[in-house]
Amino acid sequence: MSKTQNNEKLEIRIDHIEDTLASVAAGDMDARINSEIEDDLSGIEAAIDLLIDDLTDELKQREKMQKEVEEKLSKIQEQQKTIVQQQEDLLELSSPVSKVWDNVLILPVIGTLDSQRTQIMMENLLEKIVETGCTIAILDITGVPTVDTQVANHLLKTVTSARLLGAECIISGISPAIAQTIVHLGIDLSSVKTKSTLQDAMIFAMKQNIRSENIKLQTLFDNPNENEE
Amino acid sequence: MSLVMLELTSEKNWEKLGKHILKFENDVVKLRQTIRHYAKQFRMGIVDQTRVTTAVSELFRNMYNYAGGGEVVIEKGIIEGKEALIITCIDSGPGIEDLELAMSDGYSTGMGMGYGLPGAKRLVDRFEIESKVNEGTIVRIMKWR
Amino acid sequence: MNTDLYEKKIPIIKIGNFLIVSIQVDMHDKLAIQLQSQILEEIGKTSAKGVLIDISVLEMVDSFIGRMLSGMATMASIMDAAVVIVGMQPAVAITLVELGLEMPGVDTALNMEKGMEMLEKRVRNEDNDLF
Repeated sequence: MSKTQNNEKLEIRIDHIEDTLASVAAGDMDARINSEIEDDLSGIEAAIDLLIDDLTDELKQREKMQKEVEEKLSKIQEQQKTIVQQQEDLLELSSPVSKVWDNVLILPVIGTLDSQRTQIMMENLLEKIVETGCTIAILDITGVPTVDTQVANHLLKTVTSARLLGAECIISGISPAIAQTIVHLGIDLSSVKTKSTLQDAMIFAMKQNIRSENIKLQTLFDNPNENEE
Repeated sequence: MSLVMLELTSEKNWEKLGKHILKFENDVVKLRQTIRHYAKQFRMGIVDQTRVTTAVSELFRNMYNYAGGGEVVIEKGIIEGKEALIITCIDSGPGIEDLELAMSDGYSTGMGMGYGLPGAKRLVDRFEIESKVNEGTIVRIMKWR
Repeated sequence: MNTDLYEKKIPIIKIGNFLIVSIQVDMHDKLAIQLQSQILEEIGKTSAKGVLIDISVLEMVDSFIGRMLSGMATMASIMDAAVVIVGMQPAVAITLVELGLEMPGVDTALNMEKGMEMLEKRVRNEDNDLF
């Protein structure tokens, strides 16, 4: 074998090594040198192949880990969404509005009032007023431990908004402690009908009902012909 | 506390939804309906939709009455980690001399009843105003979803 | 194109002693002022004792329309007619209160029927005072 021939062969092999490395660098992890000749160069070639093997393994592992992390992340995000949804549901659940008598709605408020909760509570109550056509709504705050300026303002806003719709709000369940705080804070509740117990509020509501019923009866008596038709 | 912002909040990555010209009285009605449409698309609740529409109605009135019209830019973006609808009203009217006074309840120069600016401020999550006498006024309001 | 909007009038219907107005369009300021004088003129012409204003389809009431409505209530009462605002939407009511317009002194009702009852009650009370 001539020297030049030998050199040519070597060059081809080196070119092959370069090509393989280039394709590995480009992302083709299946490329190998796979030399069949045994000489000094084959050791290097085998070593390169081994290195590529290792690299492939590592890459695969990293991809797998990344996938796992992404899956976990999306799972966490999903869970977070559920938590937010549940919180919202809970907010709505915690302020049920029920019709207890002709023309009378009751909203029992239990627990601490923050502005988000009062917001939802207020919207629920107003919508229910429009839906049922009830003109009296009792807001019972027996289960509210404390009333601060913000909460009092929210309550006032609810009462005023209800009035704009054409309904009257009564706030009941005002404990001595809450009455004291309200006055100490300088909150003016004089425009709001307040009752100390739910029972008092109910009695008041019934009386209002009877009053408007009387007017209807009076109308009937005034126009007896209308009734006979 | 000064209500004058030296620089309005602004980000390059806000997505521009629309730009409208307010010139005639009828534009006030049309534009506030446009804003409600955007608020609805933004999946705001009915009360928030009404708040935004009412707030812009107050701003549009000021623009029409005092500056003879102006420009309205509607954008959406993320502010303090919350998705927000951003509406900017730009006019080249006489400007506001005393912003603090204009922002106080019950103050009016005659045409309104003084609930315009402070009222609009109460209805949104963030309210920024910048004004120069004889140059114009920019009001930017933001409402989180 | 703008002119036909200015000419569009909101109909005022007279039933018995009362006037009924149903606002079905999103009003701009000029239309609101026009409506105000239109109603007051109608009260003068018919000497109606009450006015029912139905705003159940209004999706927004801003400070101008709010002031127009409460102003009209005061003006009408000087002309001896009671005004009842009927059917305000919850979102509108909340927004009005937050805006700072609590509209004290304006009578409101949930629906037309209840509004009518209110006006009848008022007229009856006045009649009772006579005898």
